[in-house]
Amino acid sequence: MTPILEVNDLTVTMKRPFRTLTALDRVTLTIGKGEVLGLVGESGAGKSLTGAAIVNLLVPPLRQTGGSIALAGRRIDTLSRDDMRKVRGREIGFIFQDPSTSLNPVLSIGHQLIETMMTHLPIGRDEARRRAIAWIDRIGIPEAERRLDQYPHEFSGGMRQRIVIALALCAEPSLVIADEPTTALDVSVQARVLQLLKDLHGETGVAMLLITHDLGVIAKMADRVAVLYTGRVVEIGPTSAILNSPHHHYTHGLMKATPTPNMQTQRLDAIPGSMPNLAAIPSGCSFHPRCPRSDATCRDHLPRLSGVESGFACWHPLSAGGTS
Amino acid sequence: MSIATETLSHRNRAIQGLEWLWQSVRTAPGPSLAGLIALSLVLFAFVVPLVISSSPFDPANADLLNSLNPPFWSEGGSMVFPLGTDDQGRDLLTALAFGLRTSLIVGILSVIIGLVIGVSLGLISGFAGGAVDTIIMRAADVQLAYPALLLAMIIDGAMRQALGTSRDTNTAIAIVVVSIGISFWVQYARTIRASVLVEREQDYVAAARVTGRSRLAIIALHILPNIMAPVLVIATINLAIAIITEATLSFLGIGIPLTQPSLGTLIRNGNNFLQSGEWWIVAWPCAVLMLFVFSVNVFGDHLRDVFNPRLRTRR
Amino acid sequence: MTRDDLLALDGVSRTFGGQPTFLSGLLGQSNQGTRAVDSVSLTIRRGETLGLVGESGCGKSTLARIVAGLIKPDRGTITFKGRPSASAASARPRVQMIFQDPFSSLNGRWTVGRIVAEPIRVHNLRKGSAVRDRVAELLEQVGLSAADVVKYPHEFSGGQRQRIAIARSLAGEPDFLILDEPTSALDVSVQAQILNLLKDLQRDLDLTYFFITHNLGVVRVIADRIGVMYLGQIVEIADNPTLFEAPRHPYTRLLLDAALDLDTSDLSLHPIPGELPSPQFPPPGCRFQSRCPRMKQICIDVEPVLTYEGESAVRCHFPLLSDRQASFPA
Repeated sequence: MTPILEVNDLTVTMKRPFRTLTALDRVTLTIGKGEVLGLVGESGAGKSLTGAAIVNLLVPPLRQTGGSIALAGRRIDTLSRDDMRKVRGREIGFIFQDPSTSLNPVLSIGHQLIETMMTHLPIGRDEARRRAIAWIDRIGIPEAERRLDQYPHEFSGGMRQRIVIALALCAEPSLVIADEPTTALDVSVQARVLQLLKDLHGETGVAMLLITHDLGVIAKMADRVAVLYTGRVVEIGPTSAILNSPHHHYTHGLMKATPTPNMQTQRLDAIPGSMPNLAAIPSGCSFHPRCPRSDATCRDHLPRLSGVESGFACWHPLSAGGTS
Repeated sequence: MSIATETLSHRNRAIQGLEWLWQSVRTAPGPSLAGLIALSLVLFAFVVPLVISSSPFDPANADLLNSLNPPFWSEGGSMVFPLGTDDQGRDLLTALAFGLRTSLIVGILSVIIGLVIGVSLGLISGFAGGAVDTIIMRAADVQLAYPALLLAMIIDGAMRQALGTSRDTNTAIAIVVVSIGISFWVQYARTIRASVLVEREQDYVAAARVTGRSRLAIIALHILPNIMAPVLVIATINLAIAIITEATLSFLGIGIPLTQPSLGTLIRNGNNFLQSGEWWIVAWPCAVLMLFVFSVNVFGDHLRDVFNPRLRTRR
Repeated sequence: MTRDDLLALDGVSRTFGGQPTFLSGLLGQSNQGTRAVDSVSLTIRRGETLGLVGESGCGKSTLARIVAGLIKPDRGTITFKGRPSASAASARPRVQMIFQDPFSSLNGRWTVGRIVAEPIRVHNLRKGSAVRDRVAELLEQVGLSAADVVKYPHEFSGGQRQRIAIARSLAGEPDFLILDEPTSALDVSVQAQILNLLKDLQRDLDLTYFFITHNLGVVRVIADRIGVMYLGQIVEIADNPTLFEAPRHPYTRLLLDAALDLDTSDLSLHPIPGELPSPQFPPPGCRFQSRCPRMKQICIDVEPVLTYEGESAVRCHFPLLSDRQASFPA
């Protein structure tokens, strides 16, 4: 199976007068056709940056300084600005965290859907309008024809996020990048939006890069998951394998620190310390100051990812059952 | 925290400080240069009068033998009076320093008056709300209908009637300061009021209230320090406006009297010689006025961008 | 109110906007304001953590601010330590509050030392150099360093800033803390640290917590008893394991089902049907009837009341059975 997206050794740096900071360090990921890859990590890990780098929306002084990005076998990181604009929206859809800022407040949602489809698809206005109504209906908003002409502020937060999803998918892209699509939403609304994403994924077969800090979202949505820490992939593999028997201590720590309604414990196992600043990434394995299992090797030597499809970057990995 | 990481964080902070300075010079060389020019002119205005203690406008210093000397590079000019002299034989370089100093004092004092009135009324308006807020904001609208120039003429006229010819130089300066200062308050009041409406809803204010702080203490200790940045930007730009207004008033003869050097009186005096070929008498004060106002505006504009949180995140 | 109760709310309500005008009064029109908090009655016992969960717009933050004395209730009474008071605020500094956003809750122009010392100085709890010693002690108690007093909030991460806020609240030597989503803005690993810190402080200092959150997992870990809010009303109160294992209100059941866990063997999602009604125009009768699978005519006609049954209470005409078989027929 040819992967739809291949990210190879992607490196993003930020130039400062007296030093260069590395925000993404040789990130390698692949997403197969119709696959959902979860990208999980805490703030500052570089999750959103990875998404932005793929669609070439890095904000200076951030710059891609290494690696390659290929969509369906074609390099897209070397495309001109105009060519990249055609890729965005047409081949890669984007769903942002905050639905209130990703919809244009002065245009009706019908206008936004119709314009997006007419820009990217070889269809006329009438057909675009027909499809827009079908989309609004599909995302569970009643009276689609009437609501087509309404403006974003006339919809609830959950509805707006569903409209954003329709906008991202209406041009029939082969890949959609969803950056924290449910973080701004409440529990009940979150389940609704995830269900819609899941259904649409099933119907259209679009591949998805799902960026989130929430392991619960990963568990329910992702086929495979990549765990990011200080701009490096520290563990990657099938979701069920990783969540049932993580190899990296960070993945394990993250799972034990996540509170869920059905857990029996009254005390969480917290990871000590916090995500280091880009300007002070520790030597060797960058997780070593917070790791219960670290030693001199971890401090001095950077562990390599043991496999691109499925692997971990740790000198003392946990084996099945959670022991090192 | 161990000693090793502590020194590291100190060094990091030092590096960050250097980076910030270098970054601001590199990303904004124009505003940095403008700031430097404005600062040099201020130093020039306040240091020269310290060295040459007596004003060239003191009648005792009149030097009619050297009157109307051209600048040093022209025929008849000399390095004794590098920028030339006027009809009374006053050295224009010294006169410029004394003149700029008067203009700066007028500018600074009027900005302070506007700032104090405006910030106080803005705070009251933002916190009291209701009728008080409405009255203050309508008064602001009325104020905006009167340009500073008109206001100065009205106050000047009234004072002339009240004091007759007994007005001395200091009274004249005070009138200019007050009339320019009053015209400024609206901007401060509006800015402060808007900031207060935002800041009073912040959680640090709620935290102070839960702690039991009085309203006055919350305004003075918590809110005021957080809303002064935009006010300082306005103050910078108002300084330039105040100096121009002073020059205009003095040029029209309703500001600083001719016996006191200011950029306005120097221009007014020099204007008389423009037709007879002594261009330098009016050119120097005009040039200094333009250079100073331009630099302050460029610098102030940059400050506005720096303090604007929306723009800051983008950089 | 028993001897064990620290705080009791009785029929506390608050409406925002829609002040009745002269005209609407004459015409006998009803008030169009939003009833953010509607007749909330509950008690918080000495030394316990009462969790309050609900989705955005349910009024839980308004309730927290009413208890803190930041918002005055329109109706109802608040009793603190047996003394009636308009709000707990009159008992300052015995009551302190911790906010959701550690970036807006600390004054960015103040040093950490000054921030933490504020409650001490306002209430003259220490004199002279004892203030400095106390601040150092507090910072170390929350896991920061005494050397941090000279720094400014922007030099700290979100988790560290929340620790500063906790140190500030402890400086007032409170016995009651109101925590309004204190970990929602934090990363998972840091959230766990803060929750553990709060648990340790509660044990060491004998604190009582009123903990507001939208996160069911967090409330599972931190709370002794839990109240569930929906559109301004408490719909269920139960102690910690009971609420999760045998919820009685259909909303609680659906909310628990909608929450995500890390189980990869069951990938199904359980969204709550329907849309959240606008708090300004809640449905007639039971506020949850428009989304409830057990809705009958009486739910539209008659508003249910919060009915106690031992320690637990539920506001529903057709509550789920109290034994462990608490799920809907398919």
